[in-house]
Amino acid sequence: MILLLWVCTIFGFLPVGQDTVSLTEVEVFAPAIDKFAQGQKVQVLEKTELEIYRGRSLGDLLQERTGIFVRQYGAGMLASPSFRGTSAGHTALFWNGLPINSPSLGQSDLSILPMAGIDQAAIQFGNAGALFGNEAIGGSIHLETKSEFGSGFQAGISQQFGSFGLANTYLSAGFSSKKFSTKTRVYRESATNDFPYQNLGQIGTPEVRQQHARFEQNGIVQDLAWNLNSKNQLKTSIWWNKANREIQPVMGSNTRDQQEDQSFRAVVDYFLFGEKSIFNLKTGLVRDEQVFNQSQNNTTQYFASGDWDKDFSFKWTGKAGVRFTLAKGDLSTYQAEDNRLELYQSTRFSPSEKISLSLNLRQLVYSGTFAPFTPSLGMDWKVWQGKNQTLKLKTSAGKGFKVPTLNDRFWNPGGNPELLPEESLSGEIGLNWTKTGKINMSHGITYYRMQVDNWIIWVPKGNIWSPENIRKVSNQGIEYEGKASWETGNWQWKADASYTFSKAVSTEGIDENDPALGKQLPYTPKHQVNGRISADHRGFTGFLGTFFVGERSVTADNPRQMPGYQLWNLGVGYQNLKWGKLNFPLSFQINNILNTDYQVLYLRAMPGRSYQFNLSIHL
Amino acid sequence: MKIKLHQSIWAFALIFILFACDDSGSERPLGAYETGILIMNEGAFGSNDGEVYHLEPASGFLKPNIFEMENNRPFAGLLEDMVMEGERLYLVANTGKVEIVNSGDFKSRGAVAGGLDQPRSLAINGNKLFISDYGPYDGSYNTPDSYIAVVNGLDGGAVGKKIQVSNKPEDLYSIGKFVLVAGSEEKSLQVIDAETETLTKTLVVAGSPTQFFILGTQLWLFAPASDKVYFHRINTSNFDLTETVEMAIPDATGKMAIGNNGKIYLLTSTGWPTYEDAVASVSIPNSQPIVKELIKGSGFYGIGFDQNRGELYVTNAKGFQGNGNVTVYNESGTVLKTLDLGRGPSGFMMR
Repeated sequence: MILLLWVCTIFGFLPVGQDTVSLTEVEVFAPAIDKFAQGQKVQVLEKTELEIYRGRSLGDLLQERTGIFVRQYGAGMLASPSFRGTSAGHTALFWNGLPINSPSLGQSDLSILPMAGIDQAAIQFGNAGALFGNEAIGGSIHLETKSEFGSGFQAGISQQFGSFGLANTYLSAGFSSKKFSTKTRVYRESATNDFPYQNLGQIGTPEVRQQHARFEQNGIVQDLAWNLNSKNQLKTSIWWNKANREIQPVMGSNTRDQQEDQSFRAVVDYFLFGEKSIFNLKTGLVRDEQVFNQSQNNTTQYFASGDWDKDFSFKWTGKAGVRFTLAKGDLSTYQAEDNRLELYQSTRFSPSEKISLSLNLRQLVYSGTFAPFTPSLGMDWKVWQGKNQTLKLKTSAGKGFKVPTLNDRFWNPGGNPELLPEESLSGEIGLNWTKTGKINMSHGITYYRMQVDNWIIWVPKGNIWSPENIRKVSNQGIEYEGKASWETGNWQWKADASYTFSKAVSTEGIDENDPALGKQLPYTPKHQVNGRISADHRGFTGFLGTFFVGERSVTADNPRQMPGYQLWNLGVGYQNLKWGKLNFPLSFQINNILNTDYQVLYLRAMPGRSYQFNLSIHL
Repeated sequence: MKIKLHQSIWAFALIFILFACDDSGSERPLGAYETGILIMNEGAFGSNDGEVYHLEPASGFLKPNIFEMENNRPFAGLLEDMVMEGERLYLVANTGKVEIVNSGDFKSRGAVAGGLDQPRSLAINGNKLFISDYGPYDGSYNTPDSYIAVVNGLDGGAVGKKIQVSNKPEDLYSIGKFVLVAGSEEKSLQVIDAETETLTKTLVVAGSPTQFFILGTQLWLFAPASDKVYFHRINTSNFDLTETVEMAIPDATGKMAIGNNGKIYLLTSTGWPTYEDAVASVSIPNSQPIVKELIKGSGFYGIGFDQNRGELYVTNAKGFQGNGNVTVYNESGTVLKTLDLGRGPSGFMMR
């Protein structure tokens, strides 16, 4: 009934008789993140991939479709990424080119970055301090909204229902001409999250329903773009998101914590397209307000940057820029301000069609302190090219850094203003083989090595916890990913698989007797596997996916190991249900088909089998 | 006919079991944990990995995680206190529950699972459990609604009455039909009538009371302040203070252990930022000289004393980054050995 009402509402404001036919679609400009990322691994997750995960979270997407390990504190609870054995604070996160990690925490919660707010996610693996700046030690995540000119009027509504009280609603409407583009999205996601689990913290370990894990989030995304003339483009994006969560207690606890997170992000880009050059002015604002129980922590970041990207010749391309950031923190125990200025420069040299080399340099100064100077060097080399095969060698080396967060420096009591930035040094080498033909295939294998020094850890000093530059960590690993696509009759098939081996050990600790020395970092699985096969037949789609996460230890000295787990997900859909201009995509998913009992983190319950039904109407 | 056969088999079985169980008391085998030292590991915040280790001090044999081993489930809580009463051992988790196990074999026998917020300690009076609880945090992390929860039945169950007491109650002591409460934040000694479950008396005392202890036949209350410590002797008939002994020992943490010959060992810490820890030794009455820094170090977290062997146990939580350890000293502060323990080792029960 409610759905019907929404449908009527949508129909209510549909303009009749549009003239969209004559327009040609042109995507609104966004700088490519991999233009100077030679020798580095970048995985782009397109909209179709993201749509499968709509209603779930960015954390689920990254865990199941990339080699990243996501530390999940329960269903819908805090989820933080760990790339290549580094910590959550070693991941830079961008939204439309703005760094959006919290300046007080130095990380982001993937659970409150709903898929509904983004159209593309690109994942860059490894150290990229020179290219992307602060916190890009383990890797970086680039979320983008995409819109286009010349596509006329578009609208859609989508409703999801699922297990454990899942009810999500998405509305979108947009209009674009050759000159102007607007797209508005509104969403609401909620779940009671009362999944059954075996409570190990209770006598008799009964199966109980999860209490106090209700989740709700609402948001609006607005994209606007103008072609001022053939050389000038202005675009802006605004994202407001508000999440209300009951914090799922650890088994054995009956905490009743409540958390509200409200984020407002806005970015304005001006592009001047010149003769083989692009000048970009960018300004933005990120405001995060968090209320945990009754304690309030707010931060605001203001950004202003400008850069110039120029193709000097066929062989030489360069980019140079400057960014200014003002971060203000108004936390429950302190107030602080940090201003950051960074200069960056990238050069790409392609002596032949087969080889591209890049050199990236960056220097950041925060509140008068120089962060480590970060250079990086990379190369892509087509070692061999056959008729329909290519073998590419990728290699890169570079430095990265992390400025101590506002909490690290100013939390009262305990904050340590004397902290040094964390510093990393890494190198990687990989081979990629692609083959086209009856079966299109690609295989890639990468070996990396990294060292992170001055790793910041909070340790108790009596009753007060205080951060120190304690650990030195050495990481190395191997990553494989393979893809294949082929056709049999009217069936289109796709399959992919990836495997990650990651060894991350402490080489320096609290003292020489630190039992963590030489041991794998806590909550860092050595082995991870992902795989999926999907089929498309005359509008019918289906997929079967699985992922495996290996054993991981609870603490740095490894006495307790959490068992590995493997989960399976299944989805089916039909895309060709049409009525006039309307399209009604339908889909159904089963997550954790085998109802596997697992915990990602110790004593944090996770849901068993769940169902999710999606119905959409697209115009 | 079948039913009758079954019935007779059951009857036979019942008689057999009754006879088998008819032990005379003295022949009962000792539980694995009835001797030796039980070591409390608090666990780390957010991980709920508190556990109990068992140590045979003579052989040095250490058994880790005995709750999980005996019950096939994790303790799943932050272990704040252990209280023994006869065949029952109460494991108080400040994450909101009390687990009750057999003191001999550690098999689970009950729990107080709901109705608690941040329990700290427990006392038994008659057939009732009294549990001190900080109560919930308010917006500024204060605990204005501290209480003593009453549970009817020694094997746990539901919380009945909650008796409002002064903020942050710690140790409890049961005497006659009364339960005494060490009120740490508002510096009080409070008396609860266990029968009527009402607060009958509040005394404001010097220092922040943390622990009751018996010395000889006398009941004392330990109450540290920032620059000195107080020992209050309690009149066990009217619960007034009969005497207060004051000593100039700064930075006492509230953790203490009773040694031999009237000696008391106190854990001190300068705290943040200098963070120098020490063990002080004192005696009541002031018959022996005060030693402010019998042992010096950093990261001290718990203290215990084995009166049989005259050995002092001082734990180190190792920054809660992983497991901690304990160093065993003789009475003059010489290191005897060091043992690795669980997460956040915080206290001992010498059996």
